Amino acid sequence: MRYVLTRLGMLLATMLLVSFLTFAAFEAVSGDPARNLLGTEATEEQVMALREELGLDRPFLLRYAEWLAGFFSGNLGVSYSYRQPVGKLIGPKLEISLCLSLMSFVMIAVISIPLGIFSYHRTGGFADWPRTVFNQLCMAVPPFFTGILVSWIFGILMKVFTPGDFPGFRQDFGESVRHLFFGAVCLGIPRIAMTVRMLRATVIEEMNKAYVRTAISRGHDRRGVLTSHVLKNSMVPVVTFLGQTLAELVGAGIVVEQVLGIPGLGRFLVLSISHRDYPVVQTIVVILAFWVVLAGTLADLINQSIDPRLRLGGNRG
Amino acid sequence: MRRKMNSRLLTGLIITGLMLAVILLGTFWTPYVPTAMKYGKFSPPSAAHIFGTDNFGRDIFSRVLKGSGTTLAIALSTVSIGALAGTLIGAVTGYLGGAADEILMRLNDALTAFPSFLLALLIVSLVGPGKKYSVVLALGLVFIPSFARVMRAEFATLRGRNFVTGARLMGASNGRILLIHLLPNTVRVLLPALTIGFNNAVLAEASMSFLGIGVRPPDASLGYMLSEAQGMLAKAPWYALFTGLTIVLLVFGVGLIGEGLQMQDREVA
Amino acid sequence: MTKRISAALLSALMMLALLSGCGAGNGTPAPTATPAQTEGGAEAGDTAAKAGRAASNELNVGIAQDFDSLDPDYMTAAGTKEILFNMFEGLVKPNAEGEIVPAVASEVSKSEDGLQYVFTLREGVKFHNGKAVTPEDVVWSIERRRGGEDTAAQLAALAVISEVKAEGNTVTVSLSEPSNEFLAYLMNAYILPAGYTEQETAPVGTGPYRFVSRTVQDSLVLERFEDYWGTPGKLDRVTFRILENNEGLILGLQSGALDLVAHLTSDQIAQLDSGEFETAVGSMNLVQALYLNNAEKPFDDLRVRQAFCYAVDKQAVIDLAFDGYGIPLGTSMFPSFSKYYDGSLTDYYSHDPEKAKELLAEAGYPDGLDVTITVPSNYTPHVNTATVLVELLKEAGVRATVEPVDWGSWLENVYGNRQYQCTVTGLSSDNMTARKLLERFGTGIGNNFTNYSNAEYDEILAQAIAAGDDAEQTELYRSLERNLTENAANVYIQDMADLVAVRKGLEGLTFYPIYVLDISALSWT
Repeated sequence: MRYVLTRLGMLLATMLLVSFLTFAAFEAVSGDPARNLLGTEATEEQVMALREELGLDRPFLLRYAEWLAGFFSGNLGVSYSYRQPVGKLIGPKLEISLCLSLMSFVMIAVISIPLGIFSYHRTGGFADWPRTVFNQLCMAVPPFFTGILVSWIFGILMKVFTPGDFPGFRQDFGESVRHLFFGAVCLGIPRIAMTVRMLRATVIEEMNKAYVRTAISRGHDRRGVLTSHVLKNSMVPVVTFLGQTLAELVGAGIVVEQVLGIPGLGRFLVLSISHRDYPVVQTIVVILAFWVVLAGTLADLINQSIDPRLRLGGNRG
Repeated sequence: MRRKMNSRLLTGLIITGLMLAVILLGTFWTPYVPTAMKYGKFSPPSAAHIFGTDNFGRDIFSRVLKGSGTTLAIALSTVSIGALAGTLIGAVTGYLGGAADEILMRLNDALTAFPSFLLALLIVSLVGPGKKYSVVLALGLVFIPSFARVMRAEFATLRGRNFVTGARLMGASNGRILLIHLLPNTVRVLLPALTIGFNNAVLAEASMSFLGIGVRPPDASLGYMLSEAQGMLAKAPWYALFTGLTIVLLVFGVGLIGEGLQMQDREVA
Repeated sequence: MTKRISAALLSALMMLALLSGCGAGNGTPAPTATPAQTEGGAEAGDTAAKAGRAASNELNVGIAQDFDSLDPDYMTAAGTKEILFNMFEGLVKPNAEGEIVPAVASEVSKSEDGLQYVFTLREGVKFHNGKAVTPEDVVWSIERRRGGEDTAAQLAALAVISEVKAEGNTVTVSLSEPSNEFLAYLMNAYILPAGYTEQETAPVGTGPYRFVSRTVQDSLVLERFEDYWGTPGKLDRVTFRILENNEGLILGLQSGALDLVAHLTSDQIAQLDSGEFETAVGSMNLVQALYLNNAEKPFDDLRVRQAFCYAVDKQAVIDLAFDGYGIPLGTSMFPSFSKYYDGSLTDYYSHDPEKAKELLAEAGYPDGLDVTITVPSNYTPHVNTATVLVELLKEAGVRATVEPVDWGSWLENVYGNRQYQCTVTGLSSDNMTARKLLERFGTGIGNNFTNYSNAEYDEILAQAIAAGDDAEQTELYRSLERNLTENAANVYIQDMADLVAVRKGLEGLTFYPIYVLDISALSWT
């Protein structure tokens, strides 16, 4: 119980921190939402009037306090650009982005963990070169290239899905999921390569440790040692890395979303920043913060169950 | 006693050495002026222009020569900032734990959630446009959280090991334990993270050019050229091919060195 | 042992299957595609996609930016006006020939002194919600734009209206002073149902197409309005898909998701299969120039401005950055406004780098000078033009650097606060008046971001706006153009070409002298 409370406190603290930082950043960044809305034809009076209407002429701390009050009473504000409630705008995008990230994450975890663990042998030999080259290539190929290639092969040649025509879950659930699957593939490729690389490195490191050699020389089954000792010790950094990956995935989809025409949160965030649409950005950032803390907590929990020594701060738990 | 270098380390060193030589050459000499637009639009690779020319009729080989240096400098300094700060945070939070851990990790989470696009805009507004170092600053900051998280987990695992307890019993200070006993053991995680980070930095730099930080046209960086080339795949595939290949070689070389070093390390043990 | 091998094999297979995208770099064309998926199959697929939409009489259009507002009185982005043109009309509207023609009004009469306009409402004009348009709706709509409660919806140029009155089937608009351009501005006073407050989410107008649905940052769906008073649209349903990434648009065309995309670059057009798409070439109707801050050093000196004009070879810019598409310009006017356009000004400054150097030396820069060109980074054509300019200016000893900034910063720092040396952008007119293009160079005018200030210019401008006679006014506007050229207000470059990719079988695309995409004339053959 105490653990849950501390975690909730931390979550709240992070969300507060990030929302304040975002608010403060918009104070410093050049570009005025009112001018952005009114465009090049507006008169100075119109800009002033709109600033007043949006409340931009009032002190920064007051506006932040108001935003906070609104947030905690469930009022996320109204988008400057769309003149619609932020919640209504973000809902569908969040759905899509969550689905995309989770698909991609499952793909990464399911493929890279077994690959990383079972590719530990045959190290260094020449037969191992193709693996090294392939792995490095997958890390080195930029995401927009993977995006273009995947859409070209699966979209244009094979017609498995139609890039640029995302139907939406309500219209055509199957087609939408198929569309997102290819997005998830593009997102996943470099990260799978990274995770395999990292997991493999830690497993090999661990297998060469004195205790493993001792165990094996004493006649223990190699595989048994691997699963009972080595994995435990090599999973910790990988779980952390996967946690970080999960945290970053939601915001990282932007390039893939743009190329495949998926109306997700990443695209919406970048566009709202360029339109200086603070209420939208503010809400997305808080959602991202929530997600980051959640992913971090999950990773910590898993790690602690793998290795109880990791309970930081001693008697918590 | 001298050991034989493993093939990965050797290959990595050769590739990286060659790339460095090319980059060094590029700072002194290029076959053509890299910004001159008089060699005909989209000419395919030929004896005169071995990488062909781009959409403005500029010699791609000269631009690659010139751009690689900038790219390498930006990527290296970015990764250094991220890795140094990340390791420091990871060490403090993972090894010491407690209040420092809580506060730093919350900041770290906040930084992960903070949009990098907004961060870049913020830095342009704060340090003024046109400063070369602002891109390094922006990307460096973006890279801290992932390093910090992974290093924190690693330090936390190592903290409970027998050799650390031993060192502590012998009266070693925290600083000494961290530096002499723990840091070398984090290499297995740090090296792949560095390779990955280097890779990301090369590509991320291109996305920052559009915000007026980093390389400004007509100057070139590999990332910027590659993002330009992606829109001309059908007309000038060589543009994407050669810039892409240069990036891949650069990243590949560094990656091989990383992998080779790890193996070398193992062979000693 | 066998287990180990099978595990390795399995993992290799999985990698291959999943990461085949990576493998394509190896140079071996993937032989995995079955015959049905090769070229022929792809073509058949495309035709099927097209046939599907042609059969159901639908069209998918790709656009590069989202709509800033669906309430026509609040829209400011050119890209929004371009599309909403199909949903909303004023009492009068523009046609493709650049004339102002009656729309919701069937007849317009102007009083002798030019102070009163009487509009007779057309019989049987209906809103998209089925209700008939009443004179009260018209009065409400014009009042809202003239000086309604919300300043953001106001159109400054309509401040000239002193009174709007409904009487029987007519609406009378009185002006405080005569204005030749009044009707052109009135085109932007869209007729909306009086008191209707849901325009933002469920817009209602009188145009040939009506609103069906919208997903923010994704799409807008319109359908033919069956009760349209004029020639009805030919297509049943048109979907506008928002894909802000260039590659996304091109992939959308190639995959069959889109049928028409406008404002592409020549490089993008080259990506498309010419057997499947045709390219229509029109003009963007905007003045692309290196706009100079006339109040800042070094451009406060006429000689420096002229030196820049001599230094820049317009045709070279068009050739290098636009594959030769584009019409060189010499002043703030483009050819489709043929009445006002003075083509002789284009070559006023012939390309002469030596002369430019002399002028710079005279102005106190014998060793050349450094300038910064600030460009909005979201407009690739402007960034490309700036990149070429840097190279061309070198000939005259000018060391220029390009500074890309994001659109928000550009609006604030360059357009609003005028803190810049020079910038590349394009200026257009959304209502077919020369005034819109020329008034902005008057001293003290709110959107005169170039800080151009010339006593003679101000004087002629005042005369031109007040002129009652059309011929006289045209002459005055032409002398304003000459004034801008002679004083080298800016380094004028071109009217950019508008390249439109159109799927074969679609016809009826017409270019307007203003920035609109008329979908009502489009149809599948």
